[in-house]
Amino acid sequence: MFFAFNTVAIASGLFGSPQTVSRESGGLNTSIGYFYSEDTFKNDTDHLIRQNQVYSQVAYGAQNMWEIYVRLGVADLKISDCFNSTNVLTTTNKLDFEENWKFFGTLGAKGFYPINKIFGIGAFIQGTYHFSNYTDSVVAINGGNLYTVDLKIKNLWDVNAGMGFQLTAPLDIKLYAGPYVYYSEAKASLDTYITGLEYTERNVSIRNKSIFGGFAGADIPLLKGFHLNIEGKYADRFSAGAAVSYTY
Amino acid sequence: MKSYLSLTVLFVFLAMGCASGQRTSTAVVTQPGHDPNPVLLVADSGQQAADAQVKPKTQSGNDDNFNYDDDTFKEERIEIADPIEPFNRAMYHFNDKLYFWALKPVAQGYKFVVPEPARISVKNFFFNLAFPVRFLSCMLQADFNGAATEFGRFGINTIWGIGGLLDPSSNKEIDLQKQETDLGQTLGVYGVGHGFYIVWPVLGPSSPRDSVDIAGDYFLYPVSYVYPWYAGIGVRSYEIINGTSLRIGDYESLQEAAIDPYVAVRDFYIQYRLKKVKARKARSLIFKVEDASSPAADKALPNN
Repeated sequence: MFFAFNTVAIASGLFGSPQTVSRESGGLNTSIGYFYSEDTFKNDTDHLIRQNQVYSQVAYGAQNMWEIYVRLGVADLKISDCFNSTNVLTTTNKLDFEENWKFFGTLGAKGFYPINKIFGIGAFIQGTYHFSNYTDSVVAINGGNLYTVDLKIKNLWDVNAGMGFQLTAPLDIKLYAGPYVYYSEAKASLDTYITGLEYTERNVSIRNKSIFGGFAGADIPLLKGFHLNIEGKYADRFSAGAAVSYTY
Repeated sequence: MKSYLSLTVLFVFLAMGCASGQRTSTAVVTQPGHDPNPVLLVADSGQQAADAQVKPKTQSGNDDNFNYDDDTFKEERIEIADPIEPFNRAMYHFNDKLYFWALKPVAQGYKFVVPEPARISVKNFFFNLAFPVRFLSCMLQADFNGAATEFGRFGINTIWGIGGLLDPSSNKEIDLQKQETDLGQTLGVYGVGHGFYIVWPVLGPSSPRDSVDIAGDYFLYPVSYVYPWYAGIGVRSYEIINGTSLRIGDYESLQEAAIDPYVAVRDFYIQYRLKKVKARKARSLIFKVEDASSPAADKALPNN
């Protein structure tokens, strides 16, 4: 098989602290964030997938218990060894799929229940959709003939859900951790069929089975209503990011 | 081509700027506690602004609420040349009809449909977009604190204010207040007088000095570069309609309270600009010293 992937896993963005940073009486908070995600997907071979996300987020929360948020950002996509040929008669000019910034949007909601002043437990769900296709071209040489092939990753989306345990440390620093599950799916298609290569021209659904992961982070109050949120996740690979939010 | 025409017209008016006025109007502004130097506005071409300093009146009586120093009610007479009053009145009536017949009905409909928070957000967005004019003006006025404030406001409002729709910088915690300045005020800070009064069609009250801001605004406002041109006009029109929807009633109140609305608008405009320029001078690192020694630096009439 020329392009062997039927499973993809892309962890998407920060989850944030289980408890909203909005005012108790209700209000907005806005963020700008960066997240670097790494994961692996497997079929015949393992592939490493990397993504950088930069986004802006608007959230509304109240009562220190719930929050809904919308995120808009751009992300790139890199899939290692994606163009690696398994056929000795076919060679390609590169191995990795790479595409630059494309827009994505995220919707999410979270709820929090304070057990006492220090501990609390929360749950969240968030979904992401990438509005644009990720496309990369590769030049394949087969039997002395050159072929330019485009691979498109279309309709990439994912959903994440999990629960978090929060500890409020001195200086109102919130430390949190918890498990999560996630699912992602996209359509992959090549625009040209090359004789002798084992691949498909049709849209192929690429997805991951539900994969468990864990996340941990901290929300640190800064000056003048700003917060710094740093977070790391681990599923197949480690991902991490940070966001600075402002509470209205 | 449009900009060349604008500049040509501007040059003609600047050249005419020393023409004599034809009417006299007076407005006294006394705001104890707010402005220690109340301003007497006079439209008269024959008098020099420097001669117009009115001796401070000393108040008598038992009112203990104010400290009636000699300087408290010192009045400064500001003269407004209005040599093209027939043209200005014609433009005033044109703008008046434009407002009542077109702009206000549209703005009222828009106001009915769009809730106020959304309209304020749109206003914030366009205000944020006009950052280059304010930043450059602050720099040219040697108000580096103001320039830094504007820069900080722009960064914060763009990043955490969703592209400027929200205004977190004005919140109590951050407290970076708007620097509402322009290139016309910058010339005022440099000591350039108003020149004469002029009412532009559509754009409204102005002066040759403040008309520089129209040109500056064109080049420094990002919406001017929206392509194609009719899209840019559409955006500007929407901005005007949105802004008007937040001010419906203001103009009507001024008009109802005035015997001659044209004169009232003219006096209000000159007074408003005078205060703006004085406020900007007070913030300037270079020009505020000079300001202290020349209280009539913003006098309206140029010497013939």
